[in-house]
Amino acid sequence: MIEPHLHELDVNVDERTRRFRHVVAELWRFATRRTMTTVALVILLSLLFIAAAGPLITPFGADELSMSERLQAPNPTHLLGTDQFGRDILSRALSGTRITLLLGISISGFALLVGLPLGMLAGFFDRFGLVVMRVVDAIMAFPAIILALALMAILGKPGITNVILAVGLVWAPRMIRVVYSATLTLRESVFVEAARALGVGTTRILLRHIAVNLISPVIVQVTFTFAFSIMEVAALNFLGVGIPPHVASWGGMMNEGRMYIIRAPWIILFPGTFLALAVLSFNLVGDALRDRLDPKLRRVM
Amino acid sequence: MLIFLVRRGIGLIVSTFLVITITFLLMQLIPGDPASVMLGANATPEQIEVLRETWGLNQPVFVQFFHYLSNFMRGDFGESLFHHEPVLGIISQRAETSVWLGFCALLVVLTIGIPAGVLAAIRPNGMTDNVMLVVALAGASIPSFWLGLMLMTLFAGRLGWLPSSGFTSILETGNLANLRNMILPGFSLGFVNAALVARTTRSSMLDVLQADYITTARAKGLRGRIVLMKHAFRNASIPIVTVISFTFASLVSGAVVTENVFALPGIGSLIVQSVLKRDYPVIQGIMFVVAVLYVLVNFVTDLSYAMLDPRIRYR
Repeated sequence: MIEPHLHELDVNVDERTRRFRHVVAELWRFATRRTMTTVALVILLSLLFIAAAGPLITPFGADELSMSERLQAPNPTHLLGTDQFGRDILSRALSGTRITLLLGISISGFALLVGLPLGMLAGFFDRFGLVVMRVVDAIMAFPAIILALALMAILGKPGITNVILAVGLVWAPRMIRVVYSATLTLRESVFVEAARALGVGTTRILLRHIAVNLISPVIVQVTFTFAFSIMEVAALNFLGVGIPPHVASWGGMMNEGRMYIIRAPWIILFPGTFLALAVLSFNLVGDALRDRLDPKLRRVM
Repeated sequence: MLIFLVRRGIGLIVSTFLVITITFLLMQLIPGDPASVMLGANATPEQIEVLRETWGLNQPVFVQFFHYLSNFMRGDFGESLFHHEPVLGIISQRAETSVWLGFCALLVVLTIGIPAGVLAAIRPNGMTDNVMLVVALAGASIPSFWLGLMLMTLFAGRLGWLPSSGFTSILETGNLANLRNMILPGFSLGFVNAALVARTTRSSMLDVLQADYITTARAKGLRGRIVLMKHAFRNASIPIVTVISFTFASLVSGAVVTENVFALPGIGSLIVQSVLKRDYPVIQGIMFVVAVLYVLVNFVTDLSYAMLDPRIRYR
């Protein structure tokens, strides 16, 4: 007798297309609703384009040295000026976009892969949750950059993989916490109770009922993780313990420019602007998504 | 209140224990034999063996952890690999600079963040509110080290009003004028964090201002400013206190980079130097000190909740 009811719970194909159209319409409304969000989305898409196009759109090679043109102020040939080796700042800043976005995606992906399953299990099983959340709290007692620096020292050489691991391990506990608290609420909800009364197994409840409802808080947290992690990566590069210095990165450029800051402030001004714009657009999109997807979860910023 | 204190006190001890455990476990992750890693490439096998013996590395992990714990409890964090001095001594020499920096930054956070939030809440969506929203958003997106470098170019470079870097001890020289060196770092670190405090103050004030007792207070003819400060602000202060305590972690993180930008001889620049030199005992010591401070700040925050809102004590 129970079986037919279960079939009714599954969404049929027509319903799916209808829902898909609904999502597209929602996205469009979302993008056009507020000027700030639109601007943020435009910045974000341009950054994606720059990252994808890479060397195709940079006016000079990112590592092209030209000692005769060193420390030039912004001018028609070098729109954003040159650094101490005569390298074109615009080209370097543009080529730093790709590595920044790649690192941001990898780090938030890492945090998601670790945080989603652990957070769900911790929220669903009380004993396991008690242990996991204790550890999470203790890890979060270490300020982000201190933990990332220590992990870089422990992992060994500066390098892309190590940066992903170090910053990812800093942000995974924060993801666990978000997923955990959302799961706690969902677990008590009526539809989970109903599913359980119908005899649905734990695995199915977790995957079909809880995971699906976690999508909105997780998406929002991913955008914030992205914004914070690229800022942190830039700080590590700035301190000279991130990715190797020969790879053009915004943080690394600012680090190299420090010696010439009075003579040539543009070496630092422009990579910093790129970074701030990227962080700003992710924060704005995250805010808008949160307001849209989950008005109850509104954060203060 | 006593039961509340005892309960929170136990929590404090558990957290400290976990913090020590995590630093211990992290150091176990260092690839290779800790003794040879710590002594560097030039160590002789005898030296390594001696160190393994002193550290008890030949014993089971559990016993090692016990030694580690008892050393930490006695304030013995080992010796720096490069300075050959006790880690705790090195950290405490650097503490003064970091405390001054934290103090100046916090001053900026409080004097800009809270008034800005209150002002924005008086007329939501008004001119002030919108300007502050933009400033706060910018503040949250600008890296503090970049702001620091730009301020340095302007005020120390172009205008020459303020010193660009360095700091000499005020406790040793007794010269309060040295605080001039903290103006730029304190501002660049504080400003970024003031944004968050301003936003929290605003939303918390807005919540409270809608309450019935505010309407009552206004209705019985109290002046606007008294309602705002006495009735609204005190009740809005709990979320604000929370954010200020969160700010601690972000101030520490920011301080690491800011100290580096302005060449301040504090704990933040010490950890970066130690990471570059792989001076593990110092890194470990700083991690411990900072995390314990964080746990303590949370403890004090909990206590201040109980003082601001008596209802919390009985939960």
